[in-house]
This record gives sequence, structure tokens and C-alpha cells, in this order.
Amino acid sequence: MKAEYRPYLNRLIITLILSLLIVAGINEGFYLLQKEKTDRAPETIQLVIPDGTAASVAAGEQVLAIPEAMVFVVGDVLEVKNEDVAAHQLGPIWVPAGATGSLVLETADKYSYTCSFVPSRYLGVDVRQATTLATRLTALWIATPTMTVFLFIYGLLVFPIKRPETQKKLETRVEDKNGQPI
Amino acid sequence: MKTRFGLIGVGGALLVGLLLAGWQFLGRGYTFKGSLIDPAVPAADFTLKDQHGEVFQLGSQKGKVVLIFFGYTNCPDVCPITLTDFKRIKNELGDLAEEVRFVFITVDPERDTVERLNAYLPSYDPSIYGLTGEKEQLEQVWKSYGVYQARQESGSAAGYLVDHTARIYAIDKQGNWRLTYPFEMERSAVIDDIRQLLKED
Repeated sequence: MKAEYRPYLNRLIITLILSLLIVAGINEGFYLLQKEKTDRAPETIQLVIPDGTAASVAAGEQVLAIPEAMVFVVGDVLEVKNEDVAAHQLGPIWVPAGATGSLVLETADKYSYTCSFVPSRYLGVDVRQATTLATRLTALWIATPTMTVFLFIYGLLVFPIKRPETQKKLETRVEDKNGQPI
Repeated sequence: MKTRFGLIGVGGALLVGLLLAGWQFLGRGYTFKGSLIDPAVPAADFTLKDQHGEVFQLGSQKGKVVLIFFGYTNCPDVCPITLTDFKRIKNELGDLAEEVRFVFITVDPERDTVERLNAYLPSYDPSIYGLTGEKEQLEQVWKSYGVYQARQESGSAAGYLVDHTARIYAIDKQGNWRLTYPFEMERSAVIDDIRQLLKED
């Protein structure tokens, strides 16, 4: 690499490190301020429907202690294990007797699912987009190059790189027609 | 020299990053988009009549993936949409569609006779099986598949309507209940799942 470009490369590397630190600081700061319980990695959540549920629900009895609304994160697997003698359903999940049905919750939204194992027949499901380590790293990956470019250009304007003296002399030497310096 | 080492280091780090990303991406198994029944359970067998008056037995369809939808020919909305989806799925599957059975089982046997089904289904796709039978036979099938159906008087000239389950059932090549889809599930998701089911031995 030509010696004249070295100061720019050094400046770029310093700017990159600085940008990385700034972006990481902003990211993590806001993450800590806005952190919620649903900021976690996706996992499998299992609901077990005990034997006799269909009969109990028909009689208007609550069998399972589940909240009216359940909160999940995108990527969670909702698994319904049916130990009853009748088929059950929870929204799109239909489970024959004695089987297990599962669904990957892929889209963040609020759903009101028809549900065969609660007396109200409806169950609210809230799927949220979680902010995980992967999300934060993605943000870092996206924001750092932009920040680096911005800081690099800003830095060049505010703190121009001083050229080496020898090069400056060469550039400022002006000659006349006979090659004599003016 | 230092610059060269620096560039080698950056290049190496990028390569490792790419390899890790590739491993993460390729290492994942297929995730079904529909609601999965796992472990798979043998689907309830049934024998009904198709729109040509011929016997259709689910148990005889082993080796094919079977998509089942319950509806009725006088349905104003859900059934036409689902049957159109069946047609599009079939078209998008191309040659693979030969290994898939698209089945429409009536929830309105009083009106959906063999003749009625025969006249109704070609407007979507004549290869869709339209099944009907005696009410007692169908009640058994509805029960096995957890299908809700209830007649609703509409007061219109078109006669009564039937409230019914709008789920699609996917049965694998071994005759097991494997997946279910809610009404208006994304077509591409169903196609991906079918392709995966067809790959299985």
C-alpha cells in the first residue's frame, strides 16, 4: 500500500472501532431501557389437556388454569398435548385424541382463537417480536457500517488528514517553460 | 507487513462468519408451516362415494398425500375460496400433483348428491374428489375429524346455510394425520409442506 493512503486506512480503522462502540452503546442502552419479559429466545410451550376435559367443558367447568390471553414470541412452538378421549382444537392447532399438535408461531400479531378446552370457547394469543441477542447483533451489523461512513466523512471534513511534508513540497513546486522552479 | 496481516485477519474473520452463517442456515431441518401432529396418528378411515358414483376409501390412498376439506356446494364464501386454493396448489405442484389427492367432503348431504357434486366440481378442477354418502356415514366421518357443522336458516331464496369447520387436513403417504391448516393459509406454505411430505418414505 502506498504510504500516502496509510493515514486514511488508520483513520478508517479507528472510525470503525469508534462506530462499533457508539452503536453498541446506543443499542444496549435502549435495549436495557425497553426490555420486556418477552425479550427471550424462542422456546417450546406445552399445554396439556387432561383426560375428561371435553366432558368438563361441556358442563361449563374450567379444567385448565390458563390465562385468557397468552403471550408468546415469534419462533415459539405452541404444543398442545391431548390426553383426553376427544379431539381438541386451539385455533389452527387440531389435535386428535391421544396425540400432540404443534404450531410454530411465525408472525407477530394478536389472535383470538377458538378453543375447545376452555368454557368461553375463545383464547387470546399475543405473539410478539422478541429482541434477542441475534436481533441486537443484526442491528449492530446493519448500523455500524453506516455510522463508520458517516463518521469517516465527518472526520475528514472537521479534522483533515495532514499530508507528509515531502509530498506537500512536490505538489506545490511549480516550474516555468524551461523547467526552472518559479 | 502489518497491513497484510491485518487484511488476512479481517478476511479470515469474514470467512469464519460466512461459514458459521451457512452452517446455521443449512443445518436447520425443515419446519412445517401447518399445525403439526407429532407423532403422527393414523387418520380415521372412511369409505364414501365420489362425484362419479364410485367408491372412495381413504385407506386405499396410501402412497399419496391427501388434502381433505369439509364444505358444501351452496357455500357462498369459504368453500369456493378453498377449492380455488386447491386448484392453484395443484397447478403450482405441477407433475407432483399426481401424487396428491384433493378431497372435498360434504357437510350438507341433503343437497350435495353425487350429481350435484359432479356438476359443481369441474368449475374448479375435475380431479378434485367430491365425496358424499348417507348422513349416518358422514356423521361418523365428521366426528372422527372433529368437524363442526350446523344448519342455519338464511331466509333467502338460496335456502339454508351450513356453518362448518374450515380446516384443511393433510394426510401423509402412510395414511397418518400429519398437518392441519386454517382457512386461507398461505398457499406457498401448504405447497412447501406437501413437497416435504412427498419426500418422506
